[in-house]
Amino acid sequence: MTRALIAEDEPILAATLARTLQGLWPDLDIVATAPNGLAAVEQTLLLRPDVLFLDIRMPGQTGLEAAEELAERWEGPAPFPHIVFVTAFDDYAVQAFEHAAFDYVLKPVSSARLGKTVERLRGVFEARAVSAPNALAPDALARLLGQLQALAPAVEPVERLTTIRAAVGNAVRMIPVADVVFFQAIDKYVNVVTADAEALIRVPLKELLPQIDGTLFRQVSRSTVVNMACVTSAGRDDLGKVMLTLRGRPEKPRVSPVYAHLFRQM
Amino acid sequence: MASISQPTQSAPRSRLRRLLTELPLSIGISALLAGFISLVTGRFLENLVVSVLIGIVAFAIVFGGRQLLPERAGWRLREWAALGALAVLAAPIAHFTGLHTAGLILGIRTPTLAEYPSVDRISMIVFTFLGTTLMVVLIMNRERVRRAQEEQAASQLRAEVIERQALQAQLRLLQAQIEPHMLFNTLANLQGLIALDPARASDMLDQLIQYLRATLSVSRSESTTLEQEFAAMQAYLGLMGVRMGERLRYQLDLPPALRKARLPTMLLQPLVENAIVHGVEPKVDGGDITISAALDGETLAIEVRDTGLGLDQVRAPVGGGGGGGVGVTTTRERLDALYGERAALALNAAHPHGTLARLTLPLEFEQ
Repeated sequence: MTRALIAEDEPILAATLARTLQGLWPDLDIVATAPNGLAAVEQTLLLRPDVLFLDIRMPGQTGLEAAEELAERWEGPAPFPHIVFVTAFDDYAVQAFEHAAFDYVLKPVSSARLGKTVERLRGVFEARAVSAPNALAPDALARLLGQLQALAPAVEPVERLTTIRAAVGNAVRMIPVADVVFFQAIDKYVNVVTADAEALIRVPLKELLPQIDGTLFRQVSRSTVVNMACVTSAGRDDLGKVMLTLRGRPEKPRVSPVYAHLFRQM
Repeated sequence: MASISQPTQSAPRSRLRRLLTELPLSIGISALLAGFISLVTGRFLENLVVSVLIGIVAFAIVFGGRQLLPERAGWRLREWAALGALAVLAAPIAHFTGLHTAGLILGIRTPTLAEYPSVDRISMIVFTFLGTTLMVVLIMNRERVRRAQEEQAASQLRAEVIERQALQAQLRLLQAQIEPHMLFNTLANLQGLIALDPARASDMLDQLIQYLRATLSVSRSESTTLEQEFAAMQAYLGLMGVRMGERLRYQLDLPPALRKARLPTMLLQPLVENAIVHGVEPKVDGGDITISAALDGETLAIEVRDTGLGLDQVRAPVGGGGGGGVGVTTTRERLDALYGERAALALNAAHPHGTLARLTLPLEFEQ
């Protein structure tokens, strides 16, 4: 039986979508309804549904952000859920969805349009049942993440930072960006780690990222951005997860499966 | 708001223009005086040359001295006294210098300094003094006329700017109110409710009609009563309440005495919408919105308070759909166009969290 999760903050819309889906696809088991973008991620990771209906404008985080977070945190063996975005008229340039790996429906959801989506999904899952899908295809996930990030609103070009200004006691420490070994997101703060010191700055990682050199600094997980020049090796731990060894620091940051391709042999 | 500046010219240029208009004026006065003197003494040509030369010197002193005084509309006694003293001082100097220059040009005998303390000479100096005084009065009068014209032009410009801003604000208001995202989400809910709960669907449709009617009546010349405005906001919050379910709680508080107070149509809508879109809606637990009106002396004070995310955590909604800044800017521009300094909109952090928008405007009742 195919299992679905609905993430939608407006209760009537969630109930209506569930009801319409049930009518079109009686075999579908709707395992949960999440009322916001944060619950959507947690419940999806917990319940491992096959299909995820994600509203785009939700409190906590948007449907796109939820999908990104899921792609970064998803681990086998269950295959990554098939995502259907549910979007109101002007949430997103709908053309952006046309060539992407996920489906979308417009609100108010028309029964006929949803019927087409259901038909396609059934086809996908029937084929999957025959060929017995392998657990996880990291490359496919990385591709999916790339497509998701392309959908996000274009970040305005910002000036590149050369120095990080961090408050340490009463003074402001000037840290050359090139000296940073890695950035670690902690809630709304970022811990800036150099070979010999650490400093907290009050800038979310998402805002900091576009301001630093993307060829030198690479995101390796949801919360960590490393200076590639400081990575000496990448190994696997007992659970088979990729860990990095850094020059001048004892920490061994974990790499999300979606970013593991950055550290594969040439 | 666009700055309204006076039409300014560069200072040296306006000084030159003034010199070119005022110098012939003072020469004219001198010529006139020469004519009077000639009626008594004859020798018109000689008097004319002497008088014009005296006039030019007096003008140079007065004109030059005035450049040292401040350039502004309302002169106080101090400035007037200084100009008067200048006119008194200018008379003997101008008389002596002008007369001697004329003597050199015409080859006539001129009195030496020692001959000056005589009734004849002093009466001529007094006469010169009258001339310079006339000059000062005429020049200052022209000045006042020029200033009045400038002020009129400036106020006309200001009126045009306000007119244009009001028009822009009105357009933006219309665009913001019938925001597609809000409309489509409301319709989606309505569609759902028709199947789930037809009676509630009918109520929701009533609220949508009431809200759309209020929205479409927006015009900058139209005003409404607080009672009607609160009813429109009740309808809007009712729609949002159906959509957001338990996450939105709201309360409207209108004292009976203020029901008939007048205000521009849909003035509160952008503020209430901001409280929803940037405050309560993006917050996982939702929140409360309170709209209240109160009398503060002669001023009507309306508050929209929410317990949502708060000003420092606001981020642009997905897809942009009517940013918070637009609503506040539009409201401020409307207030400025209609009331000028007498109305204001303040946005502050509310305690313990959320935002408080406070609108103050003159209390007016239906005639």
